[in-house]
Amino acid sequence: MNAPFFKFEYFNSEVSLIIAFIIGIAFGIALEKGGFGRATILSAQFYFTNMRVLKVMFTAIVTAMLGLYFLSVFGFVDLSLVYLTQTNLLPMAVGGLIAGLGFIIGGYCPGTSMVAVATGKLDAMVFVSGMIFGILVFGEMFPGIENFFNSGYMGNVTLPSYFNLSYGLVVFLVVLMAVGAFTAAEWGEKKMAAKSGKEIL
Amino acid sequence: MKIFWAELSLNKKLATIALTLGLIALFAGDPYGGTTIKVNEKDIALSTVGNADKVIVTELADWIIKDKSDFELVDLRSEEKFNEYTIPGSQCIPLPQISSSELQRNQKIVLFSDDDVESSQAWFILKSKKYKGVYILDGGLELWKEKVLFPKAPINGGKEELAEFEKMKEVAKYFGGQAQTDSSVAETKQEIKLPTPTVGTTKTTPPTGKKKKREGC
Repeated sequence: MNAPFFKFEYFNSEVSLIIAFIIGIAFGIALEKGGFGRATILSAQFYFTNMRVLKVMFTAIVTAMLGLYFLSVFGFVDLSLVYLTQTNLLPMAVGGLIAGLGFIIGGYCPGTSMVAVATGKLDAMVFVSGMIFGILVFGEMFPGIENFFNSGYMGNVTLPSYFNLSYGLVVFLVVLMAVGAFTAAEWGEKKMAAKSGKEIL
Repeated sequence: MKIFWAELSLNKKLATIALTLGLIALFAGDPYGGTTIKVNEKDIALSTVGNADKVIVTELADWIIKDKSDFELVDLRSEEKFNEYTIPGSQCIPLPQISSSELQRNQKIVLFSDDDVESSQAWFILKSKKYKGVYILDGGLELWKEKVLFPKAPINGGKEELAEFEKMKEVAKYFGGQAQTDSSVAETKQEIKLPTPTVGTTKTTPPTGKKKKREGC
């Protein structure tokens, strides 16, 4: 067991900032290369005309999941030290709906909007300033919604612990789901292309 | 087999690899390694060197006044005692429930009970469960009362000691206690009423959102 490195104090928090900076740059490059810096591609996902977002996300999820799972089975990673976000069911569902609306209307999610700002897209700059304004509004009204914000607390739940399944089974099911989603996405794109009569990127 | 593999498109190859790994995962077991614990006794013994695993009561008082929020303060006594009086900002996790608590391994945890015994036990349980930053409030609640809530004036103290006492008086006031300037008052200490817990005491597990240092995206 020697990872996560930071939690095992292989480096201090100053060094961790430098590492975060490097990883952040790599992440930004990956997003831009994947075409995630363009609002048209991102919002096309919601009309099922271009399934790139789904494919990229699922690829990332499956790769990270298999990697983490096997590394921890082999004893290189202590999974219990990997940070889990707490679950507050209803507040998260409401927040997800709002974020989804913003995603369709604006064409970006928070991360991709930053990538688009970096490539000089005007709409992304407006999007980001709106986001910052929204954060300020949220901060101002937080005392009023604090109770709701903390409601539905479920702790650090994971699919295996919640459904009482073995970790291996969940890993397998997620892989199946991903491969299924890929096949469906490819098929759907062809259908959509035939319908609209034009080729899609 | 080799020809079959070569004829697959890249996507199909990747899908095959993922499916294979997923199939293996079905039988590879639990990544958390179950609940059995291996204790590195040397590591645990070493972490007590130079009292590195202790927090001094006045230091803790300082943290609370400065509103430091990078640690979890855990009251190991029963809920009954917790409701009677506790250190502001602490949460109640009675010792028997410590191993099933929601405490995170990456948190800095300060344990206290009436004296040092229960916190030492909890300290060992958490340490053996690979919790990194576990600390004991040295002297427990008893010393907290003695040093922070009701500090005694130094007898024939020097200038420095008196200045220190002036500071402690303010600290005692902050926590609703009272400094003991007269030695006769100290005699009646038993009758002194403990301050009622009003300042931000959180009940058992659900941690308040604002106090926690958030991580993640």
